[in-house]
Amino acid sequence: MDIRIKEFKKIVTSPIIIGLLVLFIVYNSIFIFQNSYFREELRVLTRLVDRFGYEIDDEMLEKYRLYYEEQLVSLNKITKEKTSKNYNSMAEFFADYKYGLEDIYDREELGLIMELGIMEAYYNTIEEIDEVYSSLDIMERAESEINKFQLIDKAAETVRNQYKAFSERFQQLVNNKEHKNLFFLGKVYRLHSILFKSLFKIIIFEIIILVVLITAYIVNYEFDNKTEAITYTTKRGRDLILDKLYVSIFSSLVVTTIILLVTLALYFIIFDYSGLWKVPISSYFNTDHNFPYLSWWKMSFVQFLFFTIGLVYSITLLFNGIIFIIARAIKNTYFAFFVFAIIFGLFLILPRLAPNSSNTIFIGAFTPYFLILNPHVWFMEGGAFATFKYHEIVTLVIWALMIWVLSILSIKRFKRQDI
Amino acid sequence: MLIVTNVSKSYGKLSVLENIDIEFSNGVYGLLAPNGAGKTTLIKMLTTLLFPNEGEILYNGTNIFHMGDGYRDILGYLPQEFGYYKNYSARQFLNYLAALKGLERNLAKVRINELLELVGLANVADKKMKKYSGGMVQRVGIAQAMLNDPKILILDEPTAGLDPKERVRFRNLLAELSRDKIVILSTHIVSDIESIANEIIMIKDKKVLYKDSINSICKTLEGMVYETSIDYAQANRFRNHYFSLSEKQEGDKMKIRFISENKLDDSWESVSPNIEDVFLYVYKDEVIKEG
Ligand SMILES: Nc1ncnc2c1ncn2[C@@H]1O[C@H](COP(=O)(O)OP(=O)(O)OP(=O)(O)O)[C@@H](O)[C@H]1O
Ligand SMILES: [Mg+2]
Repeated sequence: MDIRIKEFKKIVTSPIIIGLLVLFIVYNSIFIFQNSYFREELRVLTRLVDRFGYEIDDEMLEKYRLYYEEQLVSLNKITKEKTSKNYNSMAEFFADYKYGLEDIYDREELGLIMELGIMEAYYNTIEEIDEVYSSLDIMERAESEINKFQLIDKAAETVRNQYKAFSERFQQLVNNKEHKNLFFLGKVYRLHSILFKSLFKIIIFEIIILVVLITAYIVNYEFDNKTEAITYTTKRGRDLILDKLYVSIFSSLVVTTIILLVTLALYFIIFDYSGLWKVPISSYFNTDHNFPYLSWWKMSFVQFLFFTIGLVYSITLLFNGIIFIIARAIKNTYFAFFVFAIIFGLFLILPRLAPNSSNTIFIGAFTPYFLILNPHVWFMEGGAFATFKYHEIVTLVIWALMIWVLSILSIKRFKRQDI
Repeated sequence: MLIVTNVSKSYGKLSVLENIDIEFSNGVYGLLAPNGAGKTTLIKMLTTLLFPNEGEILYNGTNIFHMGDGYRDILGYLPQEFGYYKNYSARQFLNYLAALKGLERNLAKVRINELLELVGLANVADKKMKKYSGGMVQRVGIAQAMLNDPKILILDEPTAGLDPKERVRFRNLLAELSRDKIVILSTHIVSDIESIANEIIMIKDKKVLYKDSINSICKTLEGMVYETSIDYAQANRFRNHYFSLSEKQEGDKMKIRFISENKLDDSWESVSPNIEDVFLYVYKDEVIKEG
């Protein structure tokens, strides 16, 4: 225990590691603030959900419509007074005002205008759901993905099969009415992209940088400081490498927790998700671009968030293992970074060299290196290479096993190696 | 009892030691050989850092690599070159190593104070080691080797970087410490071990050449070491005929100590050989520059 605490102290007292951790947290905070200009608008939905709930059905829709019309009447009262005009919808209203709203209406009235405008946008989106989903063709999506990557033969067939399986899930999703739930309007706010595509990807890269630094630093600490002859001939001896492995894992988890906790806490303070945590992640509103995010399983937003966090922790451990093995084999920290970077690059480039007709092209998708590129579609339909139902789990299990075996071999080798 | 049997070691294709057999029992052993002879290589095998390619090393009959931490627990080692943590004080550094050596915390505290006193660093014990001189760092090294009160103390060139005063101090310290231990120290500086080593081990051409008491080793040159005074003008001619051990200016003449099989001149004075003579003679074909 004493030894491990002392190893941990080496990390905690490393200015680079602590400095980077602080820098990353500052960076994430800036990123969140930069994207927060619309945070007030989000409250409109929070209030609507407060009033009607998020589940969309006929009864809810009727209430929603009545409320909307009621509000429109109040607005018309004001407009009549100020401009002697009457509007049937906010679209009509906004068409009249390219500029100059502020000159005519006071703050309170502007608030009502904004609220009504947003209400109408949500209402319109509700109205289009059925039409969109009846024309949404999963197999068409498959073909467009196949074309995008110019897959042929077996490779194309695999993609079709995956999407066929996904079609069933899609039917189930529609039957469950998972898509008919209010959520922040993706096409306007792109919150799924901000959180899961941008922020989580940033977080993951930050974590990997720190994990690589910590692990290489601690594993090679003695060699870098030329104390290996002293330390590895003590009673603890080469078993010290085990302490180092445990401490590096512990430190990686600590660092991951700190970054996630601080960043996500700030994110959810800035963007208020209250009332929406349990909305299915496959809600039609959660469509940032042309195609909705469709999960393989029925999951609420908060479940998706926790699965994503869980996967981040798992990936942290995988990278911890990978860099442990590399740093152990290469006794120089900087050279170890270099090798890690090269391996990283190779894993991103090599799969592209596989023939586009064979299934080998998919091997490259089952790596942690590939996983971290697309955190926004984990557990979801994710294009040609990531629409395997158990994509994440299979990748995790295979790599965890490989890394586990290699780590054991690496430790065994170290115990029999000349130092 | 530490026994090296039939041990060979090579680095890749470079063979450094071949079929080494040595027995160590309690006492001080001086490993005396020129640079590159394989002293450090032998020592690293004795300290489990290197694995022999052939042969084995036994402590009380058990292979030291099988003994594992049981062996390392009774081992104290000062490497020839070692680093330290710049921002640690001597006390912190020793504390860290005490933990690795499995010393109980309170015991370690007492022991560290004793040792700091012993190596004369008590007054600077809490200063960062990056402010230490080379000799001070070396003394920290000696202290850490003795932390666990080892039964086998192995010191690789322990006096390197120590000034003459410190060398004397160290020698006395060692004589005191070595009572019920195996102490092995390597050096290529003869005077370091002349007075304290019970036995000298010389390695030549990858093999053990001598392992004997100083007296016995010196006897091998008995009747072959002479001193005489010659003119400077003759010096070169003389050196071509006889192996010169040392030369000294004496007035306008040169006093030369040299090796000869027979006494060929009455002016030659037969002197008793010392270990340095043996060292110089044994390694005469190797380029040595003594420090
Ligand atoms: N790690 C290594 N890899 C390759 N060759 C090595 C290695 N370590 C030592 N050698 C070579 O082995 C030979 C013996 O080296 P060693 O360090 O054991 O000598 P030494 O007697 O301790 O010398 P010195 O008095 O200079 O410390 C030398 O020729 C050296 O170049
Ligand atoms: Mg040496």
